[in-house]
Amino acid sequence: MTPPDRRIVPASGEVAADRARGRLLSASREASLRRRLAARDERALVELVEIATPWLLGLVGGMLSDADEAEEVVLEAFARAWDKVGTLEGGEQDGLIPWLFRIARNRAIDRLRRRARRRAKYVRAEAAGALGSGKVAPLEPNEAAQPGWYVHTQVHAALGALPAEQREAVELAYFRGFTHSEIARQLAIPIGTVKTRLRLAFDKLRITLGPIKDWVP
Amino acid sequence: MTPHDWYVENRSAFVASALEPEEERTFRDHLPRCEECRREIARLERDLGWLPMAVTPVTPPPGFTHRIVGTVLRRPGRTWGLLPWAAAAAALLAVGAGTWQLRADRDRIQARLEDRERRLLAVEDTLSILRQARQVTQTSISMDGREGGLVIFQDPVTHRWCVVVHGLPPAPPGSVYQFWFVTSTGMVRSVEVPAEGDRPAFLTVAMPGVAAPVMGAALTMEPMVNRTGEPTGPELAHVMF
Repeated sequence: MTPPDRRIVPASGEVAADRARGRLLSASREASLRRRLAARDERALVELVEIATPWLLGLVGGMLSDADEAEEVVLEAFARAWDKVGTLEGGEQDGLIPWLFRIARNRAIDRLRRRARRRAKYVRAEAAGALGSGKVAPLEPNEAAQPGWYVHTQVHAALGALPAEQREAVELAYFRGFTHSEIARQLAIPIGTVKTRLRLAFDKLRITLGPIKDWVP
Repeated sequence: MTPHDWYVENRSAFVASALEPEEERTFRDHLPRCEECRREIARLERDLGWLPMAVTPVTPPPGFTHRIVGTVLRRPGRTWGLLPWAAAAAALLAVGAGTWQLRADRDRIQARLEDRERRLLAVEDTLSILRQARQVTQTSISMDGREGGLVIFQDPVTHRWCVVVHGLPPAPPGSVYQFWFVTSTGMVRSVEVPAEGDRPAFLTVAMPGVAAPVMGAALTMEPMVNRTGEPTGPELAHVMF
């Protein structure tokens, strides 16, 4: 698996302005992007790709442990988003970026499920050292200009507040795409314990991530 | 525990895609029929919408942004914007033309529809257990010259049973048929079984909320006043797994 590259992607115009504030996408900017995407403005697509691609590659690459396949999934996700963004236009509660995350993550899960030899994922992930906390580590403070840094640090604080065993279960389930039984095998604990840890963890995360859901500049 | 509790407990696991494939299919089949679960799943997805931002961002390879934009825009056969409007306009015309007639019968049709939906939900839920059952246990029951039986379908996915009781005469006045779990520490009361002549009774039961493992099941005839504790009436069937 390709190790994470922490260089900051060059940006211009509005992207750079939001980046300077350490935010992924302001509410007014998101509203504007939605309108322009729905109107088939190709420049809006370029902007969305610039903003979201590094995070999508980080998410999907971590799940698939395969950089090439991750790029394919990200490409598919943008194609799907471009086709369906008109249906999202009125859905103000569903943020543009979380929606894109969900599309990409579902695509990655589909690929994981389709793999004939699921065991190979374990081997690749273990060999690449992807299990555990390696890929969901916080960014360094000097990367505060990275778009989304604010949200990233908030999510990390929420994950960091979880007991270690619950955080581990979330990482394996949500960020690696493992099922209950796979996590139980990986951690050598009963399935019931896995279910309880995940349920408790998500109950807490819903509360701590709530303010981010409603975030406005 | 109600049969629906399994879905409630597994909502976050569904959103995290942590369910086993068979469990996920069961959950996905359930969603179109359950507004509460659909609403809660949508809320969960919104609450956890920013969770993916925990990952370390990865710099795209050179030219990847242009490749994405080029590929997305070059795909053939995209008629976005025109077809949905045309379809919506056609649907609107059709609905408008028939509205006055539908309004008159709306309440009656809606009541019937809701009743049908409730019955359909129950049947579909029962069928899902029968389809997923990995173990089926049956025993015959002779009573008042009639030959009946008890059949138990065990669903390992949702940890529920479908209990079928057939061929029993109606319970005498003041008595009920009672279904029990047999555990390593004693009998645990489950559901009352209605006996409706020739029609078999289909009952969905969840596992009892006790730590002791379930080893079998029993059917007894109990006086209506005995709603707690151990069985006191005659035992009609007893099966061990």
